[in-house]
Amino acid sequence: MKLPLSWLLEFVKLDVSVERIAVALTDLGIEVEGIEYPAASIDGVLVGQIKTMQPHPNADRLRVLQVDISQEQPLAIVCGASNMVEGDKIALATVGTCLPGNFNIKRGKIRGEISLGMCCSEVELGLADEAEGILILDVAAQVGTDVAHYLGLEKAVFDLSITPNRGDCMSVYGLARELGAYFDVPVVLPTDSNVTSKAQIAVPQVKVEDKKDCSLYVARCIHHVEVKSSPTWLQNRLNACGMRPVNGVVDVINYVMLELGQPMHAFDHDALHGSIQIRRANDECIKGLDERELSLNSEHLVVADDKQIIAVAGVIGSLHSGVTMKTTNIVLESAVFHAARVSTVARQHGTVTESSMRFERGIDRSHTMLALQRATSLIVQLFGGQVSAVQQCGEIQERQHVIRFPVSAIEARLGVKVPECTDDVLVRMGFSVQRVAEKLTVGVPDHRHDVRIVEDVIEEYARVYGYDHIPTVLPAIAMNVAPVKPLSLLQRVIAQGFTQVINYAFISEKQQRLFSDTPTQDVLLQNPISAEMSVMRHSLFPSLLANAQHNLNRQQSHVCLVEEGRSYFMQEGHFQEQNQLALLWTGEAHADTWYQSSKAVDFFDMKGVVDTVLKQFGQSPRWQACDDIQGLQPGQTAVWQQGKRRVAVLAKVSQSIATSFDLDGDVFVASIHLDMLAKPRKPQFKALPQYPSVTRDLVFLFSKDVIADEILSVARKAAGKTLQRVSIFDRYAGEGVPDGYVSLGVRLTLQTNDRTLQQAEVDTLAEKVVSMMIKRFSAQQR
Amino acid sequence: MSDIELEKKLHQLQQQAVEAFSAASDVAALDAFRVQFLGKKGQLTALLKGVGQLSPEQRPLFGKKVNAVKAVLASTLEKCQQTLCAQEEMAAVQAQRIDVTLSGRTSSQGHTHPLQMGLDEISAIFSSMGFEIAHGPEIEDEFHNFDALNIPPEHPARAMHDTFFVQSEEKMVLRTHTSPVQIRSMLAGEPPLAIVAPGRVYRCDYDVTHSPMFHQVEVFLVDQGVNMAQLKGVLSQFLSIFFGKTVPLRMRPSYFPFTEPSAEVDIGCVFCDGKGCRVCKETGWLEVLGSGMIHPNVLRSADIDPEVYSGFAFGLGVERMVMLKYGIPDLRLFFENDVRFLQEVGR
Repeated sequence: MKLPLSWLLEFVKLDVSVERIAVALTDLGIEVEGIEYPAASIDGVLVGQIKTMQPHPNADRLRVLQVDISQEQPLAIVCGASNMVEGDKIALATVGTCLPGNFNIKRGKIRGEISLGMCCSEVELGLADEAEGILILDVAAQVGTDVAHYLGLEKAVFDLSITPNRGDCMSVYGLARELGAYFDVPVVLPTDSNVTSKAQIAVPQVKVEDKKDCSLYVARCIHHVEVKSSPTWLQNRLNACGMRPVNGVVDVINYVMLELGQPMHAFDHDALHGSIQIRRANDECIKGLDERELSLNSEHLVVADDKQIIAVAGVIGSLHSGVTMKTTNIVLESAVFHAARVSTVARQHGTVTESSMRFERGIDRSHTMLALQRATSLIVQLFGGQVSAVQQCGEIQERQHVIRFPVSAIEARLGVKVPECTDDVLVRMGFSVQRVAEKLTVGVPDHRHDVRIVEDVIEEYARVYGYDHIPTVLPAIAMNVAPVKPLSLLQRVIAQGFTQVINYAFISEKQQRLFSDTPTQDVLLQNPISAEMSVMRHSLFPSLLANAQHNLNRQQSHVCLVEEGRSYFMQEGHFQEQNQLALLWTGEAHADTWYQSSKAVDFFDMKGVVDTVLKQFGQSPRWQACDDIQGLQPGQTAVWQQGKRRVAVLAKVSQSIATSFDLDGDVFVASIHLDMLAKPRKPQFKALPQYPSVTRDLVFLFSKDVIADEILSVARKAAGKTLQRVSIFDRYAGEGVPDGYVSLGVRLTLQTNDRTLQQAEVDTLAEKVVSMMIKRFSAQQR
Repeated sequence: MSDIELEKKLHQLQQQAVEAFSAASDVAALDAFRVQFLGKKGQLTALLKGVGQLSPEQRPLFGKKVNAVKAVLASTLEKCQQTLCAQEEMAAVQAQRIDVTLSGRTSSQGHTHPLQMGLDEISAIFSSMGFEIAHGPEIEDEFHNFDALNIPPEHPARAMHDTFFVQSEEKMVLRTHTSPVQIRSMLAGEPPLAIVAPGRVYRCDYDVTHSPMFHQVEVFLVDQGVNMAQLKGVLSQFLSIFFGKTVPLRMRPSYFPFTEPSAEVDIGCVFCDGKGCRVCKETGWLEVLGSGMIHPNVLRSADIDPEVYSGFAFGLGVERMVMLKYGIPDLRLFFENDVRFLQEVGR
């Protein structure tokens, strides 16, 4: 909300600087988002009168003016505009002026003619986005005075952010009340001249269906009004507050709303049929003043006549009953609509208006009648008319809310004793405060709907006493010492050279389907930002592929990414969130260096990283081939299963998907379902071996179909517990090896812990392995 | 041969040998000369054979002379050997000379995402103060996300949250803040509760300064006699550790449905030390988080008696904290995942 300084000072005569007022507002809990100084922004721009106008001797499009600014001599000004005549009054930026946009006016020579200033357009004054020619002022403007004054520009305008609990601060008067209490300066309510009602003007008939929806409704007719544009001073105020002038009557209503916080509405009386009813809608439609069609149901509160809805209560009036320049008879409404009723419709239809914002936050019912009187008086004063008596439904006074509590509660909650004199500030804000013994009785004023419980009053005390005065104390927290955590899997992957990314958890349905063929398990958003972000991801791979694309397009030759995040599933009506770690590697395995040339990444580079980090994490993955995972290339996909549950996947992304992300090279991915990892085993000490180990290398020709995992497990079985380690140390296919075969070197490391192994024993074990290889795989020893 | 002749020969031999030893170009050549002059079949041995021709009186005298020559030659040999060894060692070292300024063999370096750094650091600071880490679901029900936090359906604050709704039978949302973890922790445990809850949150707002997904850390303490001075204490302690210097702290009255009293917390601008700059819009202050004393309705909805217990709570925006700490100007950089950015800021 915008607060013009001059308007504020009408209600409370503060004799402090603008900056001091801003500090006070902050202290009071009203956030000052900014302060504008509209008048100062065109300081040095004066009202000038064109005495003579001559063509420029050296330029066809320029003119040389003599402009009077009430100094001894008129000033010579070169001007490019053509919309003025001699005698016009204009806005002249004199030498030394700094116009908005940091535009400095200097003494200059334009094509040989001296120019001592500049005639300004509305654009240059920062008043409009476009203008045709320079600004021509009214003949009444006084030559030599500040244009800012002529334009009624404010010295200062505060841009305030009002929290939703403080409906009472959404008016100039409400803010004046707070500041008056803060500075201890009296605050005056706007006075209005009494308007005498005429008996011949009929009082509008009003029926309120449910008092809970509308606890107070006042209305009156004003006939024979001559609707004109509102006067400049009023328009200036509306503009300063960021509201657009519409017509005299609407402007007055808005003016009073800004002043007192009471939203009102004016109907064209001639467009109404019969009496006014405040009721719930009954599956009806209304075309609002903004020309939008709204459909309304029994959740929504409306104002209607005998025929149709004429307004959505507290939100917007109907187009057909609105006041225009042609209207002569009006009905003026001022009411207290229930906050929830107004917010429901405003929310559902996205029609948040200045009016609905105030109703949602709660209206000061003591201003409802006052605002009606104030608006009536202004309308009659400015546009004439004869007024009816006031129709009133509901009581103005409600029972005051009283809160009782021990004084000690304040200290208990704030951690500091608040002095008794703080009571006086609360009283100035409208509270009633009584101290009897150590008990406080606080009466809450009508305008403070937000103060209902003890804690609310304590906040008032804190606010008035000053949050700055609350001391800084460390609490004694019961020691909850957390176990020292080992490095996370994520940190270990990063240590392997991967860069962590963080992606949005929602992706497009198209991306979802790349790696998931279970649309029934999709978690879809009802109101996504866009179709690109409409479904919660099953897999982290699509985002990683997009990241790879982004980075390869930026000259990265080696992209190693890791992300930790959740995946989301809908399973049997329940939502499931799984913690996942996903890796992507594409481009080079390592770059060209002076010691090695670059090499493209392959499956085993990725597997090495995954195995290393899992091993460091106390896991021993057992991988097996898997050919039917959506989006992953058969023959280059491995999974680690524990029973039916899949702990991890390691694969090459299918080429067509990689290509769809403009990735030409092979892309390898891995994902680890973190929730499924067993807790790392605690390391256990085992006595170191006393006797040396013996290694024995055996080389075989195997059929290419035989897989390493089987060879190693057969070797383990054959050699028994004397075998400490078995590994494949060599692999060769090519010259000397028949087609369809591969030569594999198997290294056995043998050891016992009770003696040194004898040559004969080793030979026997090796023989056993050889014969099993031959038996199981028809291998040939080489 | 006469003794004079013999002595002459001995002298010649010594001279020849010393010359030969000194002229040897390497250890092998030197060894060959050693054999030639001092070996079992060498010239000195041959000369000794002529001793029989001398008179018995002359023999010991000549023997002494031969021994003296032997000693001279042995020491010369030793010296030459040392020199040659040193030369050879030098040559070998020279041959192994490398360019020590070439780069070492490294594997590529990984980087933690700046937001992760922030999350880890914030969690660690509170963890070390005695707060326990807790997590909650991101797909939340309206009870935990709103109702239990004193935000009833028609409350204006509910609109401010720009909630993402999930398609489902019961009304589910993507949590708009980490505060639901407060409710979950309170329902699951008994006071005293000191909890820090980091996590992802979602709001339906997407522009230069808003991301539809971002990170928060919820911190709260519920116990008997918890008050606002303690809230201020924990906050100022945290902020000073996080920013690595004592930062002035300002609390402003504000409004959140789940706290009463509520306070917006500002810190003295870390860029200009409060003097006023572009980042703090010349105010000298930066808004960093919302805080307050937990509203009694919130405690009640989590089955905690507000007559017995009180608590404070606050929620940190991780993006904001990280941007301030590392001087990152644009929120969008975090989710663009450009490795050049991640490697520049991420450790």
